[in-house]
Amino acid sequence: MTAKQHSLGDRYAEVTVILVTVVALLVGWLYKSGVENASIPFSADGVSAQAPSGWLSVSPGGDELLRTRNINSRGFGATYVVRKIAIAEGVSASEMAGVVALEHANNLTAFRMLDQREVKVNGQTAFEISYVFVEANPDVTQTQIPSVVRGTDYVFLKGGHAIVVSFQSDEKNYNADLDRFHRFLQSLRF
Amino acid sequence: MSEAKALHERKHIWRDEFVLIVSMIVFVGVVYALDNAIQPVFTPNALLLTGAFLSLVPAGIWLVFFYLQDRAEPEPKGFVLAIFALGALLAAAIGIPLLENVFRVSNWIYRDTLAAILGGILVVGFTQEYLKYAAVRYSIYNSDEFDEPTDGVIYATAAGLGYATVLNINFVVANGGVDLGAGVIRIAVVALAQASFAGVTGYFLGRAKFESEPIWWMPLGITLAATFNGLFHWLLGVLTRPTITLTGATSNVWMGLVLAALVAFGTTGVILWLVRQNLKALQAGK
Repeated sequence: MTAKQHSLGDRYAEVTVILVTVVALLVGWLYKSGVENASIPFSADGVSAQAPSGWLSVSPGGDELLRTRNINSRGFGATYVVRKIAIAEGVSASEMAGVVALEHANNLTAFRMLDQREVKVNGQTAFEISYVFVEANPDVTQTQIPSVVRGTDYVFLKGGHAIVVSFQSDEKNYNADLDRFHRFLQSLRF
Repeated sequence: MSEAKALHERKHIWRDEFVLIVSMIVFVGVVYALDNAIQPVFTPNALLLTGAFLSLVPAGIWLVFFYLQDRAEPEPKGFVLAIFALGALLAAAIGIPLLENVFRVSNWIYRDTLAAILGGILVVGFTQEYLKYAAVRYSIYNSDEFDEPTDGVIYATAAGLGYATVLNINFVVANGGVDLGAGVIRIAVVALAQASFAGVTGYFLGRAKFESEPIWWMPLGITLAATFNGLFHWLLGVLTRPTITLTGATSNVWMGLVLAALVAFGTTGVILWLVRQNLKALQAGK
């Protein structure tokens, strides 16, 4: 069969296919951002924030006010933890960060501290510690290779308490998950 | 080429499509039965290689039947294989990295029904269907070998099976091999689905080359294929959703195969009917 002559209309049709695809992907991207950034209000013991919607939240216990995890993440799901710890008078944020790091070293497999520094978050001074560990799943029937997890904790001091906000995510997804965590951190009020 | 060539129907193409669907069901049944009967124990490497081999079977079956049947006016073997390879290459180089690393679909698409449908159509559907379209449109489409409207269906199916093969191999590798029983069902489902939706795009491509279609014709084809793709994967998720009971979790993976086979039969039947209607119209207008 003889193909019809390649016309200007064909060229337009070809461009239209590309445009329709690009528009669909752009709308898809906006929708994805909307779903990923959807949040629900969280408030406990004087600490409030906009927590991610659709994540799995565990009932708080001990000094933990919030523990929420993205169960749809690949590997170790992005996890946010907010703790409120009573501290003795005169304890500095860097000293408290040292205590938190020591706890991690005791509880987490192959824990390594990557960095620690003082930072400003929402105009408040905080001490930031960055670390890495290997996910230790106690389930012996697990056949997957353990994930390397990166974490960042922010330690704030407020009236005889330390507010410790932790972010942990699979090392492969850490950078991509960081923006979402920063939005959560910006929404934190205490 | 003569005009008469366009006005005959290459019946073997439809036979090939139906043979692919039936073969997939037989293939799954045989592997499933063998797995249950022998209960083979694989080393990790053997499991990986077996999964990769099984991923190639759907395309292999289709290509073998296609070559056996395509004697009257054969398509160049190299071209069909090249389009298959191009579909596979586009999936590996663009499709999978875009969906997994840029859109990170697994992070949000299973959130709720709306996310599954909209994400499935706008992101997954459009990405996959555009790449399959591109594999044909920017290669064989401009060649003299693309000389019948039904060639669109042939080459798009080849691209779809290439895409499906890489999706399956990626799944096998990401999971360090797959359980033969459930794995082979997944492989068949992906192959049938990707080939069917590519067939839709192929029908629109074939008509676009040989008839003066309006500017919205090809975008409509891609949109329809992407919509079917998204709706299929949402429905597949609903039908195969695990049921958790006191005795454990069960997932009815067979329903996925039933759905894929029905969709493939339905899509092929509708395209066949459309092509016949088109041929009748051409003959009437001649």
